[in-house]
Amino acid sequence: MVWKGQGGVGRLFKDVDRTAFLMFLGLLVFFGIFLLFPILYVFRGAFFEGGRFTLTYFRLMFTDAFYRESILNSVKIGVFTTLLTSLISVPLAFLTVRYDFPGKRLMQGLLLVPLVMPPFVGAIGMKQFFARYGSVNLLLMKLNLISRPIDWFGGGFFGVILLEALHLYPFLYLNTSAALANIDPTLEEQAENMGSSGFHLFRTVTFPLILPGYLAGAIIVFIWAFTDLGTPLIFEYRKVVPPIIFSMVKDIWVNPMGYALTVMTLIVSVGFVVLARRYLSRKSYEMLGRGHIVPRVRRIKGWKVPFVYLFLFIMVLAALVPQLSVITTSLAGQWFLTVLPSEWTLDYYRVTFTHSITVTSIINSLKYSVFSTALDVLLGILIGYLLARKSFPGKDLLDSVAMLPLSIPGIVIAFGYIVAFSKTPLNPFVNPTFLLILSYAVRRLPYTVRAAYSGFQQTSVSLEEASLSVGATPFKTLVSITAPLIMANVVAGAIISFSAAMMEVSDSLILAMQEQYYPITKAIYSLNLRLGDGPYVASALGIIGTLLVTACLLAANRLLGKSLGELFRA
Amino acid sequence: MVKVSLRGVAKYFGDVRAVDDVSFDVKEGELFFLLGPSGCGKTTTLRIVAGFYKPDRGEVYFDDQLVNDVPPYKRNVGMVFQNYALWPHMTAYDNVVYGLKVRKVPASERVRKAKEVLRIVKMTEYADRYPNQLSGGQQQRIALARAIVIEPDVLLLDEPLSNLDAKLRLETRSEIKRIQRELNITSIYVTHDQEEALSMADRIAIMNEGRIEQIGTPREIYSRPANSFVAGFIGETNFLEGEIQDIDKERVLLAVKVSSGELIYARMPHDNFFVGQKILCSIRPERIKLTDEPSIQGEAQLYKTVIHNLTYYGVIEHYVLGGFGGIDLKVTNFNPTTHRRKEGATVYIYFSPADVDVFPL
Repeated sequence: MVWKGQGGVGRLFKDVDRTAFLMFLGLLVFFGIFLLFPILYVFRGAFFEGGRFTLTYFRLMFTDAFYRESILNSVKIGVFTTLLTSLISVPLAFLTVRYDFPGKRLMQGLLLVPLVMPPFVGAIGMKQFFARYGSVNLLLMKLNLISRPIDWFGGGFFGVILLEALHLYPFLYLNTSAALANIDPTLEEQAENMGSSGFHLFRTVTFPLILPGYLAGAIIVFIWAFTDLGTPLIFEYRKVVPPIIFSMVKDIWVNPMGYALTVMTLIVSVGFVVLARRYLSRKSYEMLGRGHIVPRVRRIKGWKVPFVYLFLFIMVLAALVPQLSVITTSLAGQWFLTVLPSEWTLDYYRVTFTHSITVTSIINSLKYSVFSTALDVLLGILIGYLLARKSFPGKDLLDSVAMLPLSIPGIVIAFGYIVAFSKTPLNPFVNPTFLLILSYAVRRLPYTVRAAYSGFQQTSVSLEEASLSVGATPFKTLVSITAPLIMANVVAGAIISFSAAMMEVSDSLILAMQEQYYPITKAIYSLNLRLGDGPYVASALGIIGTLLVTACLLAANRLLGKSLGELFRA
Repeated sequence: MVKVSLRGVAKYFGDVRAVDDVSFDVKEGELFFLLGPSGCGKTTTLRIVAGFYKPDRGEVYFDDQLVNDVPPYKRNVGMVFQNYALWPHMTAYDNVVYGLKVRKVPASERVRKAKEVLRIVKMTEYADRYPNQLSGGQQQRIALARAIVIEPDVLLLDEPLSNLDAKLRLETRSEIKRIQRELNITSIYVTHDQEEALSMADRIAIMNEGRIEQIGTPREIYSRPANSFVAGFIGETNFLEGEIQDIDKERVLLAVKVSSGELIYARMPHDNFFVGQKILCSIRPERIKLTDEPSIQGEAQLYKTVIHNLTYYGVIEHYVLGGFGGIDLKVTNFNPTTHRRKEGATVYIYFSPADVDVFPL
């Protein structure tokens, strides 16, 4: 541990800063091997052939009709998902921040429910509801509203967008509502004072002020939808980039197209982040003046009340449909050409707890997640400590590298790990345990770093110095002063990191290749492909995973109170 | 009881010289002040004594023991922080007793000592509260209690009153002084508030830009500032530029011609001065006397001035006068008469040569 150095806690002695610098170098080596090296390896595969630079494969992506269409589809999914989530989130944020109404807290809680279930699990249930002869079409035909079944998912394209949007809008909602709550009401009052109101006020004052927060959330949404692997796979929608990369994992040694597509995915994602950051840095406004901001909260009155409740009801219902559909599927004993199952059963849950694939996968997921979380906590505390308490050359670099995984899609890291490490002792084709743990850890590290960092920030150095001055050793100070004070933050960060690892999709699908190493998500995916009871058992397993994650998040919420949402913000 | 000595101590932060060649001795049981404007290096000096910074040059001694390499937790120093630094996850009592637990003081002894200290700072009935349930003044007392319960060799106080409101600050001043006397702890107290320093200190070190400008008792510092910085920093004063015209060794008088032409006299040891030297005179506003009649007042010289501005405060009157020394002269008049002088009117001023300080430029 850092604190054991003879110099003690805080910025006390110069020689500790040397220790800090050495730890910084150690961390750089870690990131170099497990973040930068795989990415560089993918770049090399995409641009070099037999040691010579080539643009052949990159060009092929745009000349070949299949690749071109797939890339276009991916971008479309990203853009439409972002638009759809915006349409849901911005009005929701506005309503919940600016207005008070009975049941608001319950509503805010329910709106966050979609976070806990990955969209590809929801997709399994939704397919039962919205399939050609699924519940919805059957119901509509029974009611004689339609004569022939409707293709709700547009061959998968709309299905993916719908599922992504229903899963992702909480991210945008949290970011936007936080930005909205942060606006000094006097800014709007001043504008009203000058005669602006209604939509004009929103367009000229309110929206520009929430734009930075909104964009930060929108980037997360775009990148996620653009790179999500699980959902298109469930919909068997193959004309998008992530499933193509997935299918190319098996011939990484013969076909460089996988490398090129991965590089393209990375460039688009990072490009968007960079563009947005650049735009934001010009547009971010410090809120001047009063430290404490009391947002303008009004009570809804009169004719608006039913509309507001109707809107919120539809939103909450829509958000819960994937969950409900998965629950229904997991309990469906007999479900053939009927709106709802004709028989209900708990059999699939029994299977989940007895079948070897499912039991193994639950144990595997717990194992991987515990280790990756432990690594995240350790690295998070170390990095948070260095960033908050030390000054050394390269500190900004450490900050950006530690936050980098936020903008690197999971599919890029997973593909990079496969190609970079399959000729090393870490070969995932033999045993992916180590790489799975590391990929989970690296991708969720920003959460624990941020949590620990803010813990250290909130804990004044003088609290540690006071302890030293009355005679406590640095170690005693760490144990009885620093640790208790940052504990809540670290535990909350750890829980977020743990629950994300439990339901992680891209790395799990790509890196785990033999049944004995499957985590929950890969087991759900492969069960769903099985004929017969496949989708039902997969749904049951999905529900169990979701319950585990929900329990974790509720625990984090208890620990952190309102600031839980902040951890999901960009 | 311990004596604290600093010898040629210097501390750099990058290229910034925070503390530069600082030396002083704090006597056993003394209440010693470091006073100076913000950024003068006083807090850095205090933190060097506490052991939180290691000096880049120079030595720190507790009695005759060199402590440069002794970490803070082995120095037996109690410190009161500006923000109190009370541990928010512990009650007031636990904050106080922490240092005793760390020292492995037996439980019964611990309770007795903690209670005794809480009694001294008059916080007995608040022992079970958490810091966020205490007012600023109460937090301050707990911070003090936590620092003294370990019976430190040295007590360090870093602007302990700066977060209190004006009224509480006055009360707490005498309280701290009482406790320091009662326990007879060698103490170093950092502040930028000169009233605090003048009213509480046994001795004061005035610091500026990392250096010590003067060390002395409050009276010495105020009435005989060592240089123009001290004269200007402590209290108010009028600076007049001039040149030495004559030195009267017998009467220990310097005759100074100020830049506007008037001749003034200063009673100063003349060893460091020579005729023709450019100098700066300092005269405190309250040392200048006013009269409406141009009659001679003893040996003092009279100067004619014009009232530019007059502000009445009840106990005192404050004048800004023109026509002397080429500057706007500030004059404080005690016990103002009911008779009101008019702005624009002529008034004569005089002062004793003993009240004029002269500093080389």
